Amino acid sequence: MGTNYFNSLSLREQLEQLGKCRFMHLDEFTEGVDALKGKKMVVIGCGAQGLNQGLNLRDSGLDVSYALRAEAISEKRQSFKNASDNGFTVGTYEDLIPTADVVLNLTPDKQHTSVVNAVMPMMKKGSCLSYSHGFNIVEEGMQVRDDITVIMVAPKCPGSEVRAEYVRGFGVPTLIAVHENNDPNGEGLSLAKAYAVGTGGHKAGVLMSSFVAEVKSDLMGEQTILCGMLQTGSLLCYDKMMEEGIDPGYAAKLIQYGWETVTEALKYGGVTNMMDRLSNPAKIRAFELAEEMKDIMRPLYHKHQDDIMTGHFSSTMMADWANDDKDLLGWRADTAETAFEKQAAGDMEISEQEYFDNGILMVAMVKAGVELAFETMTDAGIIADSAYYESLHETPLIANTIARKKLYEMNATISDTAEYGCYLYNHACVPLLQDFMKPLKSDVIGKGLQLNDSSVDNARLIEVNDAIRSHPVEAIGAELRGHMADMKRIV
Amino acid sequence: MALPVDITFDAVDVDFDGHFQLHDINWSIQFGEHWLIAGANGSGKSALAAVLAGAGDLSGGTLTGLPGKVALVSYEAQAELIADELKKDDADILDVISEGTPVAEIIQRDTSDPDLANQLIVQFGLTPLLSRAFRKLSTGETRKVMLVRALASEPDLLVLDEPFDGLDVNTHPMLLEHLTRIIKTTPTVLVLNRIDERPEYITHIAWVEHGRIEQQVNCADPKAVAELNQLLHLTHTSISLPDPDPIDRLPALDPSKPLVDIRNASVKYADNVVFDNVNWRIERGEHWQLTGPNGSGKTCLLSLITGDHPQCYVNDINVFGFQRGNGETIWQIKQFIGYVSTQLQWEYRVSTNLKNVVLSGFHDSIGVYTHSSDAQKAIADQWLEILGMGHRANESFNQLSHGDKRLLLIARAMVKHPPLLILDEPCLGLDDMNRRLVLALIEKICASGKTTVLYVNHHAEDKVAGIDQYKNL
Ligand SMILES: NC(=O)c1ccc[n+]([C@@H]2O[C@H](COP(=O)([O-])OP(=O)(O)OC[C@H]3O[C@@H](n4cnc5c(N)ncnc54)[C@H](OP(=O)(O)O)[C@@H]3O)[C@@H](O)[C@H]2O)c1
Repeated sequence: MGTNYFNSLSLREQLEQLGKCRFMHLDEFTEGVDALKGKKMVVIGCGAQGLNQGLNLRDSGLDVSYALRAEAISEKRQSFKNASDNGFTVGTYEDLIPTADVVLNLTPDKQHTSVVNAVMPMMKKGSCLSYSHGFNIVEEGMQVRDDITVIMVAPKCPGSEVRAEYVRGFGVPTLIAVHENNDPNGEGLSLAKAYAVGTGGHKAGVLMSSFVAEVKSDLMGEQTILCGMLQTGSLLCYDKMMEEGIDPGYAAKLIQYGWETVTEALKYGGVTNMMDRLSNPAKIRAFELAEEMKDIMRPLYHKHQDDIMTGHFSSTMMADWANDDKDLLGWRADTAETAFEKQAAGDMEISEQEYFDNGILMVAMVKAGVELAFETMTDAGIIADSAYYESLHETPLIANTIARKKLYEMNATISDTAEYGCYLYNHACVPLLQDFMKPLKSDVIGKGLQLNDSSVDNARLIEVNDAIRSHPVEAIGAELRGHMADMKRIV
Repeated sequence: MALPVDITFDAVDVDFDGHFQLHDINWSIQFGEHWLIAGANGSGKSALAAVLAGAGDLSGGTLTGLPGKVALVSYEAQAELIADELKKDDADILDVISEGTPVAEIIQRDTSDPDLANQLIVQFGLTPLLSRAFRKLSTGETRKVMLVRALASEPDLLVLDEPFDGLDVNTHPMLLEHLTRIIKTTPTVLVLNRIDERPEYITHIAWVEHGRIEQQVNCADPKAVAELNQLLHLTHTSISLPDPDPIDRLPALDPSKPLVDIRNASVKYADNVVFDNVNWRIERGEHWQLTGPNGSGKTCLLSLITGDHPQCYVNDINVFGFQRGNGETIWQIKQFIGYVSTQLQWEYRVSTNLKNVVLSGFHDSIGVYTHSSDAQKAIADQWLEILGMGHRANESFNQLSHGDKRLLLIARAMVKHPPLLILDEPCLGLDDMNRRLVLALIEKICASGKTTVLYVNHHAEDKVAGIDQYKNL
């Protein structure tokens, strides 16, 4: 294994890489998929990204086949079925890699070192290796042969969305990057652009970024607001409702489906819209709770970002990989034993608005988490566009997994990297919020304010509204959602 | 065993999320009565049926006597279940792809009598599908699963909204026979678009219009039934097809070549074969009807032509001069095709307005992502006019009834006068009047000489003049 790539850079280079991010305009993609036409693209792995990206690339007229590990083929595993049921050529590394012009590494991140080491000697001179996440290059310092071009095309959505949007005639927001150490012929960017067009990403917006910026922001988002905050919030809110004598089935349901419902509002109109779904007194209350939590949690968010930047996070996690995932599996088992996890959701009806009215604390937690993650990332030199995609944009997608299967399943199905970071966050954040939680009552979680009179002080309301609307995540969010909505709204 | 019911609606108003209302419903269903709810598309007949299963918010009046266990089979319920299943797909940063819930589990969830469930599974021919993922089934198969699930749950009240629609010729009489057998013990409410297709056991008809019950007819009164029939058979004003886009954006086709040439095609998965050895050559101007039982692969065969089926790349298929799998894009194929199917309707889940849905036919997209010309917009308006939706152009598509959605998707398919128009059970869920309208449009388009039509349907009476080639799977 190599040494951490980021740490090998000078401070000036580090800042330059972190700050690399530019929104590309549609007219930069007029060459379409030309740079890849007639080239042989071989995908390694046929999971969520592998299958769906491959389907799109083939429907865009490109030549796609799948190289799977020998066991997957002989045992006819799901990945083999995915590829062959969809009419793709499937072969072993030996069969396909030597003929490939572009190798798309779409295996789980944890496997990247072994996979790349296995295929690299077989790759053609002057070929291209692509990733959809930069962990292997940045954190593990993978050294790729000098003659090989290394690029990244990372859709910022689940594989199923990557496909569904393409079929509609659209795409999903996508981040592309070229690894500067490996761009021997200067063709990395044109390949990455053509690949993004092949998956439909150019229609929804492409960010030209760097491996470093992608990794450092992706890790930060997933361990704090996306998975960590939702896990911590679920456990704390549930325990509080038990303390307050709320029906356990109701409490479990309010949380399990509440995250999805309140974050759906984020998707359409950011934090502002989510907060606007509350009554005026509830909005002021949620705002105040969020401010308080932000002050308490700020050092924790900084620590996570620092540990990600220094490589401390990834080296700790990789040590656990080497130790057969002992920590990870233990923490996963602990999650399954929590009171929230064990209580089934009741079958009462909860209306969409009730999730907001009775979940003021949850709304506050989402607001605090999104804003802190965004602030911390941008303070660390990550450009607002990427910070937005890695925080607010993805929150509803993860909330959706909790709605389906609660925490244990969310954790079992998110990537190991996200899961590991989520537990670290949770272990630190639960005790951190203990004093804050103590005085809270069921009015902010479980029952709602139940005021007869919902009048508020005008001056205070204006102040709160201004503060919500002027947060920097709102400005960039409106702009990026605008790019997508514009295209969707055109008549 | 079902309990006797006696349901009473007294001046009931029901609201459906602010999108639709039922007004002033005065109605009672007594034990021993078997009601048919009928009405035009968008009239509220399905909404009324859904109220029996607990849908909507009561905003006025009193509703008493609803039994606890009501089983509802409808397009909306079916679409909801499919949407739930689709939601189970992976989310970002996930490592696992979900396969979807198997049919057996979907049925079991609500079953109260496993023996009955097993018997129904055999009768409906679902045995080979039990381990398949529910969301991977064909439209007709999904429908059958919904029906078996409802019947096996032994409800106190059975509400079936268009249960016969989309069922193949063998299943239709079998279901009818089963219903006739159980109605003595299980009160049943049916919703049908065609009142002439009502089972003999129906005793009463409620005619719904604009969210109100306008007439209640006792079937024992032949005069009242005749009047209702007359209401339904108002003749259609003669219509003409709106023009195509004045600018022809399509590359020229070689007139000496067939539009479609499929040789020895097969579609197989690791665990099953959908069909094998299918040959089909479609010449320009030859209009075809495709038939075959549910699950025989009709939709699948059509999707080899449209390019929606991934196995089009491993079959010997030539469409519009493209030998598939040689670097053509899916959009190069789709530009020649207009297409409507139940599958498409399920996939058409974007928030957009009615006019955009019609316009999207020019761009082969779901939702609109590029600019449309003024001429295209004017044509879209003409189509909305024909469908009687001219004044609703800016309404939201998602909130339409099933039948209205279907009409719009038919307009979307026809709007560009495509060289190949593929209509996969287009009349499913349409009321009598709209069915006639659609059939008339299809006949016009067949006769226009520019468009070749492939048509799938189950109703023998939905014949289209001009279609004279038949293919059976
Ligand atoms: N999921 C997302 O939403 C998302 C979004 C953006 C980027 N990404 C990135 O996309 C990449 C792929 O992620 P994914 O979610 O698509 O993964 P996934 O669904 O878990 O699929 C991984 C595939 O790799 C194969 N595989 C596993 N271990 C392997 C090994 N040791 N050698 C060879 N093949 C192996 C698996 O097949 P077998 O086990 O059958 O061999 C499977 O088909 C990752 O870099 C991830 O960070 C994912």
